[in-house]
Amino acid sequence: MTETSVQGEKRNRNAAAEFTRPLRLSASEDLAGYVMGHLGRAILFLITTTSVAAVFLIFYFVIRESLPFFTTGGGAAILARVREFFTDPGWYPSATEPRYGALALIVGSLYVTAGALVVAVPVGLLAGVFLSDIAPFNLRQICKPVIEILAAIPSVAYGFFAVMVLAPWLQTHLGFSSGTNALNASLILAVMALPTIISVSEDAMTAVGREIREASYGLGATRAETIINVVIPAGHSGILAAVILGMMRAIGETMVVWMASGNASRIPSPWWDLSQSIRTMTATIAGDMGETPKNSEHYFALFTVGLTLLLFTFSLNLLSEYLLGKARAGRGRR
Amino acid sequence: MRTWLRQIQDKGFTTASAGAVVLIAAALLVVLIPMFGRGITAVVFTETVEFRRLQKDLHGRGDNEHLARALADVTAAREPIYTMLREFSEGIDTEPLVKQARDVYQKYGEYLNYHNTPREQYSEYRKQAKDVRDGLVDALESNDRQAVLEGLDAVLKEKDNPAFADSPAMEYFAMAQRYKKIAETVDLSHRAEYLASLQEVTAAIRQLLGPLPGEPTPPLWMNQYGATRLDMALKARDALLYDEQWISDGPGKPMVKKVVARKEQFAGTPLEPLFDRVEADWDKLLQPRLRIYWQYFIDDWVNSHYFGGVGPEILGTLLLTLMSMCVAIPLGVISAAYLVEYAGDTVWIKIIRMCINTLAGVPSIVYGLFGLAFFVITIGAIGKPCILAASLTLSILALPVIIRASEEAIRAVPQTYREASLALGAGKFRTLLQVTLPAAGPGILTGIILSLSRAAGETAPILFTGVVAMGPIPSFGSPSQWLENPGSLFGWLFQPTRALSYGSYDIAVGDRISMLAPHQQFGMAMTLILLTVALNVAAILIRSRLSRKLRGC
Repeated sequence: MTETSVQGEKRNRNAAAEFTRPLRLSASEDLAGYVMGHLGRAILFLITTTSVAAVFLIFYFVIRESLPFFTTGGGAAILARVREFFTDPGWYPSATEPRYGALALIVGSLYVTAGALVVAVPVGLLAGVFLSDIAPFNLRQICKPVIEILAAIPSVAYGFFAVMVLAPWLQTHLGFSSGTNALNASLILAVMALPTIISVSEDAMTAVGREIREASYGLGATRAETIINVVIPAGHSGILAAVILGMMRAIGETMVVWMASGNASRIPSPWWDLSQSIRTMTATIAGDMGETPKNSEHYFALFTVGLTLLLFTFSLNLLSEYLLGKARAGRGRR
Repeated sequence: MRTWLRQIQDKGFTTASAGAVVLIAAALLVVLIPMFGRGITAVVFTETVEFRRLQKDLHGRGDNEHLARALADVTAAREPIYTMLREFSEGIDTEPLVKQARDVYQKYGEYLNYHNTPREQYSEYRKQAKDVRDGLVDALESNDRQAVLEGLDAVLKEKDNPAFADSPAMEYFAMAQRYKKIAETVDLSHRAEYLASLQEVTAAIRQLLGPLPGEPTPPLWMNQYGATRLDMALKARDALLYDEQWISDGPGKPMVKKVVARKEQFAGTPLEPLFDRVEADWDKLLQPRLRIYWQYFIDDWVNSHYFGGVGPEILGTLLLTLMSMCVAIPLGVISAAYLVEYAGDTVWIKIIRMCINTLAGVPSIVYGLFGLAFFVITIGAIGKPCILAASLTLSILALPVIIRASEEAIRAVPQTYREASLALGAGKFRTLLQVTLPAAGPGILTGIILSLSRAAGETAPILFTGVVAMGPIPSFGSPSQWLENPGSLFGWLFQPTRALSYGSYDIAVGDRISMLAPHQQFGMAMTLILLTVALNVAAILIRSRLSRKLRGC
């Protein structure tokens, strides 16, 4: 196609722009395009690896700052330190003979998390079922924002609520000696874990195919029977992942437990008495780090608590990912 | 199973799951209603004239003339109360009078010295004055009315003594005269009981109306003004009108709260009409009226949040979140674009995805530890907790949120858009830049807003990396400083700041003075929730418009 053949269309701007240069690229342009394309791709790839770098930096620094806690005493002391850290319930960092036993803190974290899950899992799963199977479309459009706003309220605001509203209420109406206790922290954590549990479990149950449900209805099952016997078993790995993600949210939460749990580092006894004050790993880090000199034993100990927490959530994360992967694979088969 | 049983089971299940959703909505309301309901009183409340005075003194707000007129009215209305209080307290609390009598004696000695009185006359006069003083002090300290009146009369007899004529000692007689009048009306035998209650009354009046006339100005702002708000004024009025006592009937019996009207306590004394007066003149004393104190959102606090607003906290939160978004948005959106458009199913990509998920699951306090160890301690250029370190920490926290949301948004762009662009001869990169990203724009924006609100609400990551409860507002310097030293343009990055999130923690748990002002505590938390929830509502609206558009296609 030459320029003369489109002379008549020259007045038409759109067409003219197209044909002022040959459509075929020269060899150098080709090469430039190839290089640019790959260079751009390489740069994009490099930027994408920031997340990887961030994860490695987080692990590197938390481990680097916590290692001296074990290694300062030399070979034999390492084992003693590890044993002290995981089996001693006494966390007395500022005593004359400081003890760094994190057992009470670990138990405290697990305690409030369990308390939160006892409330949040049944309520969250039921709500997930409601959203995936029972609610009509319009109602679902109303419910979703409610849950999103529940997730949007900052944790410190929940902590504020726990201290300023819930704690006085518990004290006057339930007769607790202190309103900031395990029950208070568990209740608030349950509310905070709910949005995660609901949205992940709802996804899991929605992903269970329509055909399976219809087959169940076709056999004469009621809706409840279909959900309990068919949908939940079919989506069980996604539902488990929802529970684990909710658990991660609760165990990693700082401000609420710092403000609402009372911060007394002891293992609750009797174990069912929720009105006792407890102390969690996160609250210990948040509360102690501000007044700890850099590179002191206490500082390293706090990083060790952080490392424990990090490893804990990391393994939970791996587990949830495995489960979600399984759920996805199940969907793929369909 | 029987059919009816199965039906009941089905109905029960439906009800239970609907109930769960209702429960969640109720939980949301239970959290939000008290926070907003009490928080809003920090902004909308009934102010008193004291509040207007405070605003004038602190910020120069309000009309001078109106305020002066109001203050004149109020002073006139308060005068009788002050007079009653002064007269009565002179009768009950005679310590100041005793001190005054001793002062007069000293002044009289100086007076004699000044007039070069001869030596014998000097000691003679001094002795007489001393006798009068002792008589007066005895009368002042006595609880027996008869003895008081007799003592005072004895003092008054000396009035015509030429030794005291035109000297400071004449004040003795004025005092004696005044006290005689008081002693005739007040039941002095109950002085000890009156004294304790009177101190409470005085404290309540100070709370209500500010420092009494003649008192030195207190050093703290919060004590220089009376009740600035109606709710606090009512609290002070209750303390003024009623005495709460905890009384035990006998040993071992529980304490019982007993409320006694002070009017009855002080029945028959000159103080009795004060209480009716306060109730009757309530509006004149304080001139309450509605106020929308929108400056709450820009004012700095005074006296650790007792007065003032949350301006610097809002500024700090905005600085932190916007700075962190400057880092997180480019990184996040580009990562998402790469993951959707270029990434295959290689091992590397799997690792990257795993890392993003891990990052999303790291507890926020561990981010704080990392920020402390890396940005604050290891990077020498930062070296101390500051806005830069805190916002970099926040940006890592926001990164996975942005990546996930953007990824979803980019994936939702219909494949036909890309194909059309490719068919027109655009390269893959150009297609991404000019077709896919603009089409995914609203979705990405939603993700950005959500991560913005998350970053604004986070406390734990910035705890050790750059936030303080009370500190100066970051200074940005002035244009002339910038010209002189361009580096000072970024000076604020290296200063710590206050933030709404940490402020909400501190005001609830750490700050003792603000516990006296609950509206300030709830106001701070409400501002934080308002900010984050508003951002989320915006995101929800954008998304719903987007989904309507997509469904319309």
